[in-house]
Amino acid sequence: MWPGTQDWGGWLTSVSVPVHREADEKAPPVLQAQGLVREYGSVIAVDEIDLSLARGEFLTIFGPNGAGKTSLLALLAGALRPSRGQVWLRGEPLDFGEVEWRRRIGVLSHQGFLYGHLSAEENLRFYGQLFGLSDVDNVVRDKLQHLGLQERAASLVRDLSHGMRQRLALARALLHDPDIVLLDEPYTGLDPSAALVLQGVLSDLRDGRRTVVMVTHNLSEGVALATTVAIMNRGRFVWQGKRAELEGDFGQFYHSVIEGHG
Amino acid sequence: MRNYLRQIGTILWKDLLVEFRTRERLITMGAFVVLVAILFNYAIDWVRVSPEDIASGLVWMTIMFAGLLGVGRTFHLEAEDGAFQGILLSPVPKDAIFLAKALANFVFLYIVALLVVAVFMFFFGLEVSRNFGMLAIVIGLGVLAFVALGTLFTAVSTGTRMGDTLLPVLIFPLLAPVVIYGTGATSQFLAGRPLTEAEGSIKMLAAIALMAFFLGSLLFRFVVED
Repeated sequence: MWPGTQDWGGWLTSVSVPVHREADEKAPPVLQAQGLVREYGSVIAVDEIDLSLARGEFLTIFGPNGAGKTSLLALLAGALRPSRGQVWLRGEPLDFGEVEWRRRIGVLSHQGFLYGHLSAEENLRFYGQLFGLSDVDNVVRDKLQHLGLQERAASLVRDLSHGMRQRLALARALLHDPDIVLLDEPYTGLDPSAALVLQGVLSDLRDGRRTVVMVTHNLSEGVALATTVAIMNRGRFVWQGKRAELEGDFGQFYHSVIEGHG
Repeated sequence: MRNYLRQIGTILWKDLLVEFRTRERLITMGAFVVLVAILFNYAIDWVRVSPEDIASGLVWMTIMFAGLLGVGRTFHLEAEDGAFQGILLSPVPKDAIFLAKALANFVFLYIVALLVVAVFMFFFGLEVSRNFGMLAIVIGLGVLAFVALGTLFTAVSTGTRMGDTLLPVLIFPLLAPVVIYGTGATSQFLAGRPLTEAEGSIKMLAAIALMAFFLGSLLFRFVVED
């Protein structure tokens, strides 16, 4: 085991992650949602979701396909308007007419938001300029290095492998050093070595100053990174709690919760 | 304000760079213009019809149809890998996004519009050298109005199932005044008339372009926001 890491044991025997600073429970919530509903016609994708996350908290949301996880993330990112309910950032309601609050959110979606005909560096510089970063060149260089992409900085994105694109997309999401990070299935389609790199970067996000919400099907990685875990089905949180409350085989627990609310 | 202009410049530069690398729109529009001019050349009986009588209409209709091909693909590359969503999630006002996309379309379509004039000069022997400056301004104003309306309505049609099919249905009725005043002013210049005779049409084109940009900036956010 690497120094500074701990084995979570039990149902997480294969995963080691760096020890992180626990979330400050007394701090005011950074990200809050109340009565969040999103309807697509007659389909209710997100159904009365409440959540409150403090600085340093890492919420991992699990759930079957179609549970509403991606819609919930889009609502929290301000990419979708809720049909009902409200999202607050540091106590301020999301105002869709304003754009400044977007500087505080980083989003990694199913899609990378990258331009195939621009190089890795050009993509990051483009987003850096949109976010008004003062030292774009240095920030871009640092991010490319941090994600192990400096060798491919000049390569067009369309020529990069899926794993490299995913890393670049993560670099894009973190470029402006957001204090709220929303991750949608970051492990999708990654080979084991790329997943290992990603896990390292995600572990770095648990630095105590960020609030992270991650949606994933990867039970072991998702739980290992989380301070809080939620299981979502049919638009609702059917279970949520602190990771420390979890005992035994999480996979079994997850399936029993889903079947219980099927 | 400086940041706002920088954001517009960033998106505009990105669009120009991507087009420079793909040449997707310019080649399509350019090829269309040349082919249309060749077809007109054979389809019209030049013994019975004088080029000056119909050239302005042909020039403007060619610009409109070529523009539709190019502007209709404004969000095509943006859809790749959800890149447009990335812009929407960045702290850029929606009207700045609209202005950047419309200005990028203006650059592409203005180049093509000048090509239209050049090609028609070649095929129909039009004499535009006397009033070329004013003709360039008239075409520029018409193209500005076109791209403002085109960018807005492409955003509308992109979000629908009918997509490209819907765009001409939405946009052509609104382009009627642009064509009317554009052809009016162009005819005057091709006939070698003085500027004063085309002044009214030029002012109307400028007003339409201004109004189209204002409305586009105002309405774009309602189109792209979910």
